[in-house]
Amino acid sequence: MRRAILSPLIVLCLLTATPTWAQPSGGELSVVLSSLSSEALDPILAGHIVKFYLSLMFDYLVGATPDGQLSPDGGVATRWETSADGKRWTFHLRRGVRFHTGDELTAEDVKVSIVRALGPRSTTGYAQGLRQLVKEIETPAPDRVVIVTKDASVMIPTLLSRLLSTEGMILPKKYLEAKGDDGFARAPVGSGPYRFVEQVSGSHVRLEAVPSHWRLGAPKYKTVVFKAVPEETTRIAMLRRGEADIVEISRERMKEVEHAGYTVHLRREDGQIEGWFVQPWSQTPIRDKRVREALNLAIDRKELAETVFGGQAAPAAVPFGLSWSFPEIKFKITPEMVYAYDPGRAKKLLADAGYANGFAIDVFAFQLPGFPEGRAMAEAIAGYWQNVGLKPRLIPVDYPAFRKQWFDRTAPGALGYYNIANRDWIGTYALIDKYAAPTAKSASIRDPELDGLMDALIHQPDREKTYALMRSIFNRLRTEHLGLPLVYYHTPYATSKRIPRWNPGAVMYELNIDEVVAGK
Amino acid sequence: MRRFLAVRLVQSLTTLLLLSLAVFILARATGDPLSLVLPMAATEEDYTNARRYLGLDRPLPEQYLSFLAKAVSGDFGTSLRARRPVNELLRERFPNSLKLAAFSMTVSLLVAFPLGVAAAVRRGTMVDTVAKTVAGLGQALPTFWVGIVLIEVVAGRLQWLPAGGTGGLAHYVLPGFTLGWFVLAGLMRLLRSSVLDVLDADYVRTARAKGASERAVIWRHALRNALIPVVTFAGVSFAILVTTAVVVETVFAWPGMGRLAYEAITGRDFPVIQAVVLVTGAVVAAVNLTVDVLYVWIDPRIRYG
Repeated sequence: MRRAILSPLIVLCLLTATPTWAQPSGGELSVVLSSLSSEALDPILAGHIVKFYLSLMFDYLVGATPDGQLSPDGGVATRWETSADGKRWTFHLRRGVRFHTGDELTAEDVKVSIVRALGPRSTTGYAQGLRQLVKEIETPAPDRVVIVTKDASVMIPTLLSRLLSTEGMILPKKYLEAKGDDGFARAPVGSGPYRFVEQVSGSHVRLEAVPSHWRLGAPKYKTVVFKAVPEETTRIAMLRRGEADIVEISRERMKEVEHAGYTVHLRREDGQIEGWFVQPWSQTPIRDKRVREALNLAIDRKELAETVFGGQAAPAAVPFGLSWSFPEIKFKITPEMVYAYDPGRAKKLLADAGYANGFAIDVFAFQLPGFPEGRAMAEAIAGYWQNVGLKPRLIPVDYPAFRKQWFDRTAPGALGYYNIANRDWIGTYALIDKYAAPTAKSASIRDPELDGLMDALIHQPDREKTYALMRSIFNRLRTEHLGLPLVYYHTPYATSKRIPRWNPGAVMYELNIDEVVAGK
Repeated sequence: MRRFLAVRLVQSLTTLLLLSLAVFILARATGDPLSLVLPMAATEEDYTNARRYLGLDRPLPEQYLSFLAKAVSGDFGTSLRARRPVNELLRERFPNSLKLAAFSMTVSLLVAFPLGVAAAVRRGTMVDTVAKTVAGLGQALPTFWVGIVLIEVVAGRLQWLPAGGTGGLAHYVLPGFTLGWFVLAGLMRLLRSSVLDVLDADYVRTARAKGASERAVIWRHALRNALIPVVTFAGVSFAILVTTAVVVETVFAWPGMGRLAYEAITGRDFPVIQAVVLVTGAVVAAVNLTVDVLYVWIDPRIRYG
């Protein structure tokens, strides 16, 4: 009787136990992360959060260097120029680039890809900005694309580059038409160094190298597998067993992994922990600039960086001041911009504003992907504010619940925060716009002067003048204390001993896997 | 028997119908999924368009009836998070859960039967003490802790077995053991007490008096009569293993139904939540029905109808 019951179960296990995660041999690179996010395979459904694997499958119109500069060597466009009025951007395409289907990449593919990225199905982060800018796309020759904009703008190359999201990824028109949107989303085809092989939701995405790629040559690894392993202990055990080559680890366990003999690579200033106050402020103490300054001065950022972030963070100074944006626009953080930890002055400012006895303020406490310290940080901030006489109320929630209150504006003046990925200045501008544009649900800043600067920048065709405007935007955010810049955090990754060197780079949501797999 | 089956089938369908209504209402009560799906810059107009596109702008009764009509034909809609048909996700995840649950259950039964029976027959001996210790630990130790310790020691330090993910038979050992230990413990305790109960029964004494060997008395007469509560427990446990192994699937990176449910709940992906709950309900109903049928097979005195 027992045999009758048990045998089929045993046979079922044995029959179905086919390996789907092979051990990494010399031919397989295994990248193990806590999550593969939405796991979407279609660039217009995915956006920047899954760029780390999509950028191996697709080429961008405009390439980028690992340190975050636009590059004519890394994308399909070998050069680009704008017309005198700044409204026509011409991109000259590389010849001989082929999709994984064998078809050659042409201007028509570029056009279809961009039109699709701006279409109603697209939910990528910068689609909205591009929709407002792009008027039409012309294809005067198979190796030339002209993007006509409604207003003069310097932003087009960057918005379609590897520096930002996925709008600049080039898809094959013919394959798209044959397969349709749904078919493409299941079995995507690009022209990148790796082609899509398999996806098992909740488990992995497997890619296979093309024989030779114009950018990377013959890739070093035959396959690259991105695995989702939520539990850190499991990820580290996989590293020890040789089941993983690149592993996301926490700041907390960095030293332990290093001690075990593995190299830990930091993506320095990978993002900024930014706090903001839920709109509308008009009936709350937050409307007073002195209160906002006091809330900033009450926080000991150095202590936060050392304790909550295990020393793997640095104090931030400018609200929404993402540091990878600074070099190009020549913005410098001066010593006086850095918020001193000054509870005495914070108390005085609160008293001057009429809040000598403090006031109640809600502090939402939640964790976020890549930010497990979220709740601990919220508790620390509440503690600092309590020290200067405020009455913070900690509200433990999950992020979706907070986001609903934020977007519905049902918690005026409450503190929210996010681990904002670092990015170049155009990406930063677009990000600030999401927090400042009055029509956006995420709007958290109300400042007419800032709105004026933002508006002037988008219509400014002169590059140097846009830089000056961007510097003014940062200065305005800082002098008006229009947020709560907390720290720049570093993100650690451990590598197996067979990865000799790797620079995780300074490009938003990119891991620069190119360097590990490049054959040339 | 046929009448019984028909009645139970109607009862199961009614339960599933009520379940579908409950999950439909609860999934929508937890927040607007669009705030997670749409980009931060989305305007009110974008929200309106998305609501229309996803059919969320229609009255709730209409949405429910549409969901129900599609669900009957096996169409659970599209995942808001993965932007893929929910059916595809279920097809990928359900077999993984089924395989892991089958492995765990097999191991649990293989260990629990001999150990539980031996503990009852040799009450108060070392075997009984070992069995009670295994059972006590299995029910007392939290699953997530057992999993983490096994990964750290067996996979990380000793490097004997894979730490996570799906694959060959070796991949089943750690998650299977972690998942199965609790069930094993319960089964063993139940078997021990059930066998102890029946060992004192008149028919066992009669069997012994008639000269039946001790082996035959235990395995043929005592065990069969002790099986009813064990089968009930095993059935319910199997359904739980298949559908709600959230912790084990997360710790061992096992892409099954439990993790799918967790991801859907945290992402407010209500088409997936609805589908997972309904599939869970269907599995529980099917297992219960199977258990009822097994009763008849185990104990011919039981008659339905």
